[in-house]
Amino acid sequence: MLEIKNLQVSVEGKEILKGLNLTVNKGEVHAIMGPNGAGKSTLASVIAGKQDYEVTGGSILFNGKDILELSPDERAKEGVFLAFQYPIEIPGVSTINFLKTAVNEIRQHKGMGNMEAKEFLAMLKEKQKLVQIDTNLTGRSVNEGFSGGEKKRNEIFQMAMLNPQLAVLDETDSGLDIDALRIVAEGVNKLRNKNNAFLVITHYQRLLEYIIPDFVHVLYNGQIVKSGTKELALELESKGYDWIKKEFSEIPA
Amino acid sequence: MSAVATKKDTSAKWLEQFELTAANRLGAANAAVLEKQQKAIAGFAETGIPDKKVEDYKYTNIRLYLNDEFALKGAATRLRQSDVRHLFFGGHATIVMVNGRFVQELSSLKNLPREVIVKNLFTVLKATDTGAGREFNEQFDEKASPMAMLNTALTQDGISITVPAGYDCKGPLHLLHISSGTDKVLYNPRHVIKVGEGASLTLIETYRSVELTEKTFINSVTEMIVEKDATLNNYILQEEDANVSQNNVHQVSVGTSGKFNSVTVSLDGKMVRNDLNVNINGENSEIHMHGLFVVKDGQHIDNHSLVSHNVPNCFSNELYKGIIADGGTGVFNGKIFVKQDAQKTNAYQSNKNILMGENSTMNTKPQLEIYADDVKCSHGTTTGRIDEEALFYLQTRGLNENVARKVLLGAFATEISDTVKDTAFRVLLEERIQVHIV
Repeated sequence: MLEIKNLQVSVEGKEILKGLNLTVNKGEVHAIMGPNGAGKSTLASVIAGKQDYEVTGGSILFNGKDILELSPDERAKEGVFLAFQYPIEIPGVSTINFLKTAVNEIRQHKGMGNMEAKEFLAMLKEKQKLVQIDTNLTGRSVNEGFSGGEKKRNEIFQMAMLNPQLAVLDETDSGLDIDALRIVAEGVNKLRNKNNAFLVITHYQRLLEYIIPDFVHVLYNGQIVKSGTKELALELESKGYDWIKKEFSEIPA
Repeated sequence: MSAVATKKDTSAKWLEQFELTAANRLGAANAAVLEKQQKAIAGFAETGIPDKKVEDYKYTNIRLYLNDEFALKGAATRLRQSDVRHLFFGGHATIVMVNGRFVQELSSLKNLPREVIVKNLFTVLKATDTGAGREFNEQFDEKASPMAMLNTALTQDGISITVPAGYDCKGPLHLLHISSGTDKVLYNPRHVIKVGEGASLTLIETYRSVELTEKTFINSVTEMIVEKDATLNNYILQEEDANVSQNNVHQVSVGTSGKFNSVTVSLDGKMVRNDLNVNINGENSEIHMHGLFVVKDGQHIDNHSLVSHNVPNCFSNELYKGIIADGGTGVFNGKIFVKQDAQKTNAYQSNKNILMGENSTMNTKPQLEIYADDVKCSHGTTTGRIDEEALFYLQTRGLNENVARKVLLGAFATEISDTVKDTAFRVLLEERIQVHIV
């Protein structure tokens, strides 16, 4: 589904990703771990189509299509979703109204008509229940006055509403207490199926106790330097990132 | 060029018009009014049309819009109600003004409460003694803006709306100002709105052009008197076409425990200059002033406001927001004036703008002038680009850039439209704002 080949990305002239390779098939959950500054969030932003990043080499294919040429909304319409590390507050934009617009934009892209109001409301209710988000929150402006945990839950709620093929969760666990973490993870687990895939970016192993990954990759210095299964995450947890840094520090910058 | 035009040059043709139109002047109705008109034209002769050296017109070269040969009156229009009915809304009583004159046949007054008195100002002044005439223009002092003086001198008529003491006018009144015609006209409508002691009124003013083929300049003055314990909600939607420029003065006086809420939304027109001057003359009054302006390529919208806290224990809050597209120019000049006696004043003012293009211009000047020492006052202004992070966020949910931008600008505008209490007008505003933001 997702094929990243030799991806090289710079921000303001500084090279962040230095030839990253990653393949994600449908039905899989991949975790990307790594120390601060390794390029984890850059990877998430580049997949979603953020403009400030300059792709200097390599490719990202999504279902065989080169998505680097697509705008962020076109990528979303193709089925890519990014759960933000720091979801922003947008005063004055109601969550429900904007999701209705988003759902219909995506449907139009697929050649479908707008969703009936009744059907939309039914889906809204169902997904709210699924991710255990208070209707008080979805009734307000996007993330306005939300706590950190509520913002993250709202990201998962939006993911549930938009039903993407590939969801990239950028440090969704950061700033969450254990209860919020569990709710978010449960939401993801309920949405997992054989046709979609998840790329879970995290600094800690904790989240992966709840979202069991099929593969774990270590991102360091702009490259994936190690890949394995969930046991790799445990190893990182016990040993820290220092051994990775030592082992791979000779990689030329 | 206007740079070398003297005061005399710019006032001469209007002085001449003053002499020529004697028979049609408002003063023909009332001797006390005539006296004031003569005084006003003399005052105007001193100043002429302001140029950019006049501080209040520094960012709005109003002479640019007055270069044409305007007449004070055009040929009669032949509008029918079917030409204007689409501009009615909410089933509100609608007073239709065409080129500054009340046209009863076009109006829809069946929902007008009989307690509320709506008449031509001329008729009102003619029917009363010089005492009533003496009230006319009393809110303006010798420092009145030259455009207001010109209006006072040249005005022929306008509307007079009076809500008697104690009457709570529940349904809003819609005052529909229409510019229409095939001649170049500068007209000087003069309106007087009085809300009596303990009474209340919601007055919605909308400005539209209908079958208009020539340049028009509206030089309007509205005097508003909010008596003790009275409430006036004044909502304004300006949506004239590219032929129309306007200098629009609202001069408001608020009495003890009075409430004045204004919302001014300017979405279209060649040039719009609004002067909103509020004199707080009674204690415990509460003033809210909100504004939204959307300026497109080649347009110029200027909001000037002055809140004078003349007495203690009053509250005023002002928020104006602007969206300036590429090639548009916006101006905000807000002044809060707190007199020495006006202790315990709470006065706030804010102006926030979004510049959409490389060639968007915004001139903003918030001012506080405080002579009392026990007050809470603040002012602030921000001008920036649309929030790129928010734009990206919405795009990652599948909204294309244009839709996402519209959603964000709509949200920016919502803070203003949400302050409108009349649902029908709020819905209309939201609709019209969506049409004009790109």
